[in-house]
Amino acid sequence: MQQPAGKSPAIVANGLSRTFRRNDGAEVRALAGLDFEIERGEFVCILGPSGCGKSTLLQVAAGLLPPTSGSLSVQGVPVTGPGPERGMVFQKDSVFPWMRVAANVEYGLRCRGVPAAERRRIAALYLDRVGLSHVARAWPRELSGGMLKRVAVATVFANGADVLLLDEPFGALDYVTKHILHDVLLRLWAEPDRDARRTVLFVTHDVDEALILADRIMVMGDGSIVDDRRVEASRPRSTDTLLQPGMVRIKHILLGHLGLEAARPGDAPAVAGG
Amino acid sequence: MQDPADGRLPAGRSLRSIRRLLSPTGGARFDPLGLVGFALLIAVWQLLTGVIPRFSLPSPLAVAHRIGADFFSAESLAAYGLPDTSLLDSMIYTATNVLIALAIGTLAGTVTGLVTARVRWVRSIADPVLMVTGTIPILVLAPFFLIWFGTGRISALLLVIIYVVVIMYVYAQRAAENLDPVYEEGALTLGASRARIIGDVLLPGTFPQVLGGIRIALAGAWGLEAIAELLGSQHGIGKLVQVLAGSTDIEGIFAALLVLAVVAVLFDMLASAIVARITVWNRHPSSSGA
Repeated sequence: MQQPAGKSPAIVANGLSRTFRRNDGAEVRALAGLDFEIERGEFVCILGPSGCGKSTLLQVAAGLLPPTSGSLSVQGVPVTGPGPERGMVFQKDSVFPWMRVAANVEYGLRCRGVPAAERRRIAALYLDRVGLSHVARAWPRELSGGMLKRVAVATVFANGADVLLLDEPFGALDYVTKHILHDVLLRLWAEPDRDARRTVLFVTHDVDEALILADRIMVMGDGSIVDDRRVEASRPRSTDTLLQPGMVRIKHILLGHLGLEAARPGDAPAVAGG
Repeated sequence: MQDPADGRLPAGRSLRSIRRLLSPTGGARFDPLGLVGFALLIAVWQLLTGVIPRFSLPSPLAVAHRIGADFFSAESLAAYGLPDTSLLDSMIYTATNVLIALAIGTLAGTVTGLVTARVRWVRSIADPVLMVTGTIPILVLAPFFLIWFGTGRISALLLVIIYVVVIMYVYAQRAAENLDPVYEEGALTLGASRARIIGDVLLPGTFPQVLGGIRIALAGAWGLEAIAELLGSQHGIGKLVQVLAGSTDIEGIFAALLVLAVVAVLFDMLASAIVARITVWNRHPSSSGA
């Protein structure tokens, strides 16, 4: 999926809407006409309370759910179905329990007919990068929850997707495991042997997680984007980074959007991204 | 997952793997408590023979003798005009029918069950037909089958096949419904085709429950086949029981039923060992073989 060198955006949404019909017949607008652009190589966190439509947005981007109206294009091509150029890490464990760890990481490559030797080389490389070389031959049942997430992350990176969609992937993990996985994810994202960084769309309801990971945070509420701002803090970021005055200010604004804490007067207005 | 037997001679390893295959969980040690239960059963039986007269309840030893005497050839049975004159021949006939019916019924029931779980309109058509069939007592169907298809192999086979199809249909359908959609969605986003998803996700993902269904179907199939033979057949353990019942040969009936029971138990152990082998990924780590 090599694109010409032009600086076209990685993801473009135009009037993107998705409605669901509830069992009682009422219509629910999960996505209410979204317009946004995401640059190539950008790490974007989509933040919002549960039920705000953020997971629906990712399902549409993955091609698992068609939009009701409007369109979403990835690297200039309108999304009409799932494709290996858009890798997805799910909230639930999607690692196949009936395949050994290495076979899971190879699976996407196998689907696309990559020769066995090449598959094994790539799988070994990514298993090494997520620190799981020692369990390559194990069954997923023998791994912990955090290790399973590493397998899922290694699988989408090994598959070579240019756009990664992560739907609250670390939501169920404990604090420490979560932080370790942030490091693993950011290290993979900054892979030295790739000419361009991958574009990441990371859905979360955790403000700290968004601040640690994102170049840019889009806040969703009731199917719309209610805030869109850049996080300028330099990388690598640590838990201490979150204590810098600029970060604390952003955190208060974000918490305000989530309805947890009133945004303080005098806060800078949101900076429109894209 | 280190195998401590790695350094052993090939002969030792194969013996070990056979032993592991035959153990009930396919990996755990043989449980001696199972033998205690068996011994208790024999003891109760022996005690009861002290109370119940011999023509109603023969002793375990008498039945064992009878099995030994009639196993390979039985003149007493030939006197009744039976074509199969030994317990072994009758058992082979019954077992063959059960296995043929199991194979055909499992294939048909599993395929329709899996398809209906994913294709709505096929389910709309198939569900009522199979659910209604499932509620008809097989014994009600039996006389019709005997009229339509005669007393040959076909009638008994069809009865057992219908039973297996209904069970496997329900098990396979439920297995596919219980399979978390995240696996199929994950495969799709990795670039898998629909055909690949059937082979790589749907089949292995439903295997544990489908194989469990086969064991249930197998357990019921023995009794059903025997009853079908009893109602109208020229062969098999069921026919043997029917003929012996005509002359109130209780000892002979016990011998025939005991052979049937032992074979059914052996097949179940084999089936459970094969299931454990195929779904080794589904076994809890702590119960892996010692």
